Amino acid sequence: MKRLLTIPNGLFVVLALVQLLPGRNTRVPDSPAHAIALACVLEAVLLVVTYRFKGVKRRAAFNVCSDVIGFLFGFLIFWTLAAAKLPSAAGSKGAVFPPPGAVIRALVSDVPATLKNIVDSLGLIFQGYLLALAVAIPLGLLLGWHARAGAAASYISKFLSSISPIVYIPYAIVLLPTFRAASVFVIFVASFWPALAGTMSGVLNVERRILDSARSLGARQTTMLFRIVLPASLPQIFIGCNQGLSVSFVLLTSAEMIGARSGMGYNVNNFANFGNYTRVLAGVLVIGIVVTAITFCFNRLQGFLLRWRQ
Amino acid sequence: MDKIAVEGLSVEYEDRNGAFLALEDVTFQVREGEFLSIVGPSGCGKSTLLGVLQGLRQPTSGRALLNGQPITTAGADRAAVFQHYSLFPWMTARGNITFAVSQAKRGSSRRERERIANRFLQEVGLKGFGNKYPFQLSGGMQQRVAIARALAMDADVLLMDEPFGAIDVKNRAAMQELLLSLWEGEPGSGRKTVVFVTHDIDEAIFLSDRILMIAGRPGRVVKEVTTPYPRPRVHEEIVGGSAYFQLRSQLVSLFLDDVRDRIGGEEVVL
Ligand SMILES: Nc1ncnc2c1ncn2[C@@H]1O[C@H](COP(=O)(O)OP(=O)(O)O)[C@@H](O)[C@H]1O
Ligand SMILES: [Mg+2]
Repeated sequence: MKRLLTIPNGLFVVLALVQLLPGRNTRVPDSPAHAIALACVLEAVLLVVTYRFKGVKRRAAFNVCSDVIGFLFGFLIFWTLAAAKLPSAAGSKGAVFPPPGAVIRALVSDVPATLKNIVDSLGLIFQGYLLALAVAIPLGLLLGWHARAGAAASYISKFLSSISPIVYIPYAIVLLPTFRAASVFVIFVASFWPALAGTMSGVLNVERRILDSARSLGARQTTMLFRIVLPASLPQIFIGCNQGLSVSFVLLTSAEMIGARSGMGYNVNNFANFGNYTRVLAGVLVIGIVVTAITFCFNRLQGFLLRWRQ
Repeated sequence: MDKIAVEGLSVEYEDRNGAFLALEDVTFQVREGEFLSIVGPSGCGKSTLLGVLQGLRQPTSGRALLNGQPITTAGADRAAVFQHYSLFPWMTARGNITFAVSQAKRGSSRRERERIANRFLQEVGLKGFGNKYPFQLSGGMQQRVAIARALAMDADVLLMDEPFGAIDVKNRAAMQELLLSLWEGEPGSGRKTVVFVTHDIDEAIFLSDRILMIAGRPGRVVKEVTTPYPRPRVHEEIVGGSAYFQLRSQLVSLFLDDVRDRIGGEEVVL
């Protein structure tokens, strides 16, 4: 019983009670039931985690879950109060600040369309992103390995990476055969420079004793590049790839403005044009959740490939 | 024939302050199957000399020969162990060994490499640690893997640069005996030729057939002594005898002379 007397559980109760206060947002119809349902789902997760995650290792996982859920409860309380229950919710501001219940109702009713948007956006992102990695990593290895080229290339890539990929959009539209190719190009450029810079700095910073050790084994050039230099630079390559992934998602909306008729970024942009802020927020939430999920998978992959580090 | 011959070797470094002569006119030979130690205070050019023998560094003048041929590149015919654990951190202990074997014996099958790796892991007492990454091993264990790796390559020449320098005194004695037992284990004529760099005089006396002392700046050969002890050797039989004491004080006084010469103006790095 004592285990239940925690801040997250307390916040859950507060959140449920807050939903029952009379609403003041006259522009967007609220749905306290949806908000309570979400709170219950989160609380259920919290309870499962509380009773299932034992032992030292899983304790850390439990702490993270508990903190995140507690934070979400706190945030939802604030959001509900500000957007539906307090005087701030009255008047015209109510239209751009829909309460959480309304946003969740929109999310639930749009599930099939949302799934399609997710699939389309991920298709676009992965195409651009993977293409960028496929070019940037080998190129970075070669440029970094030939140290003289590397020094010049690192300045050039600093210069080029400081230009927002949005600047390239008109050129991409004129030069590339389809709008979709132009969208992919925006993502490509966004992730290309960080991945290239990360790879090059990784290669340039491989420790000398590692290289000497490999040379003294008589390793040939290709062995040297792929079995020594590549794994030795992997930590920095991952830093670059991580940055590239973040920038890709930031630019998703811009990329989908070009020619897309679906996708998470297009969706948000579209509803913003119609002034439907309930669905704009729903779309933003979906993007946030997808980004978090992908970051999680990416970190898992990174943890696996870098399992040889302390 | 001499396995290794170094003739009038000088090595100069270029850095911001201009040229710096690290070794000057160094000449010596190493017989096939001989265990030669090179001792000297730090900064006298021992690592530089070993770098030349590895083929990682080119002499400024003079030459270094292996089997009568000038050494121009690094190669798997010379196996090296460095002071700072030179294992590849992304490979497991076994992976490090199989990788080295794959470089030394091109065309060997995967099964064969695994077998060799397991055998040498066992010989250095790390049978159950093949799947561990270097960061999961203590310094001494990592160095044992490095020795196993060097032996598994089955090169005729073993070049070691202060391999036990970072290991505490108690374990160092055990590592020295391990190294000798692995090296002496081979029949007299089939033994590998070893060039072993150290700044520890006791270590040099215990391990080697012959000791070369390098000192000064630039480093020069100042003394050469042969040790009188039969093999196999164990610490108890060697340390403490009067011959040992004489040999040791001879070398130590040279060592100290060199250091004293440098106290006074120049920096001293011990
Ligand atoms: N890459 C380098 N550039 C310039 N000077 C160097 C370099 N490597 C070593 N030295 C200098 O050469 C001298 C000999 O170094 P080293 O061979 O490492 O000595 P030891 O191994 O005996 O301690 C030292 O004075 C050192 O500072
Ligand atoms: Mg040294």
